Amino acid sequence: MAKKGLLIALVVAAVIAVSLYGFVKGTYNDFVTLDEKVKSSWAQVENQLQRRFDLIPNLVETVKGYAKHEREVLTEVTNARARVGGAGTIPDKIQANNELTSALSRLLVVVENYPDLKANQNFLKLQDELAGTENRIATERRRYNEAVQAYNVRVRSFPANLLAGMFGFGQATFFEAPAAARTAPQVKF
Amino acid sequence: MTGRLAPVLLLLLAFVFLAGPVPAADPVLPRPLGAVNDFAGVISVAERESMEGLAREVLQKTGTAVVVATVPTVGDWTADDYATRLYEAWGIGKRGEDKGVLILLALKERRVRIETGYGVEGILPDGVAGEILRLHVIPLLKQGDYGKGLANAVSAVSDVIARHAGVTLTGRPQMRPARPAGETPVSPFTLVLLTVVALLLLFTETGRHILAMILFDGSGRGGGIRYGGRSSGGFGGFGGGFGGFGGGMSGGGGAGGNF
Repeated sequence: MAKKGLLIALVVAAVIAVSLYGFVKGTYNDFVTLDEKVKSSWAQVENQLQRRFDLIPNLVETVKGYAKHEREVLTEVTNARARVGGAGTIPDKIQANNELTSALSRLLVVVENYPDLKANQNFLKLQDELAGTENRIATERRRYNEAVQAYNVRVRSFPANLLAGMFGFGQATFFEAPAAARTAPQVKF
Repeated sequence: MTGRLAPVLLLLLAFVFLAGPVPAADPVLPRPLGAVNDFAGVISVAERESMEGLAREVLQKTGTAVVVATVPTVGDWTADDYATRLYEAWGIGKRGEDKGVLILLALKERRVRIETGYGVEGILPDGVAGEILRLHVIPLLKQGDYGKGLANAVSAVSDVIARHAGVTLTGRPQMRPARPAGETPVSPFTLVLLTVVALLLLFTETGRHILAMILFDGSGRGGGIRYGGRSSGGFGGFGGGFGGFGGGMSGGGGAGGNF
């Protein structure tokens, strides 16, 4: 009789162990997949941020040639760019890039006052490249945020959140754009 | 007992089937009709046919899909954002190659955009796209000649693509060999392939997931048709036989301008 009880207990324990293993395995692998998606999306965002970073010296030089008096705005852009270059962590990078976005949109407003500059083919192309890059950043930022959303929901929802803590899966950071930069600077003709 | 349970079980099963693989619905975007999608009704028949002819030739010779879309309005989005999402939803160009260009005209917003797929960004940089718009497209759009403006956009973009691929465009593409209506030649190989695909779809777990996506993913990116659809056109399941829709992606590159 006692033997039979032991047997039942063993079977129950085995069933629990197997289903627990299934749960942990499935959840953990979900975390990994979603986390990888967040990382690859962030890499795409960084590509585009880098693209903008590379574009700025040329832009600043071109504007300088026509709008010498706008030193303040130009310096602001250059400094913001330098801060982007120095940012290490993802939240820092997001912060620095948002500042750069604001500085750039101020520059593009100022530029409106220089008809000669606006007639310069080279400048117009640079402006297109910049607008295109801003649009790319917006696109990759949207995809990154979608990936973060999916990941965070998985990590935070019960009962997966119990495992997330155990295995060290924290929440990912959203890339919140500053209100002024939600729309890419529009080039007017 | 079982008789009463059966409908309930079926209903439950249906829920499980529906709830699992269906991704979050995107806001409603139109379905592509072909190379030229004149939803705003601003292009004449002759202009549409010449654009479609050129687009078909470019696709044949370079594998790059040039697609035109006009919409009455883009709603709450910006026209540029709409272009990127429409590109993604239609999947212009083959998946992975992403060789495609979408020329979008938003009538109410008075904005035109050349959206480049990942695979064309190098050939058609934003600066060049912007220059095409400034020199050849926007002046005509300002005069209200939308058809001619868009035709100019298509031919300028096609020229750039053709030059890069080292081919010359005649403007009169070789026509597809005409097939008698209702009779599609199917090779034995295709038949075997289709059977295997059907079996995989029906009898494996992943297959059933994919099948569910195909059946229920009505509004998602490309409607899931690309997973296994087959039509009279090339790759991809829709687009009126144009065949330029194969799951291509855009990263938001290109240029836009107001008119």
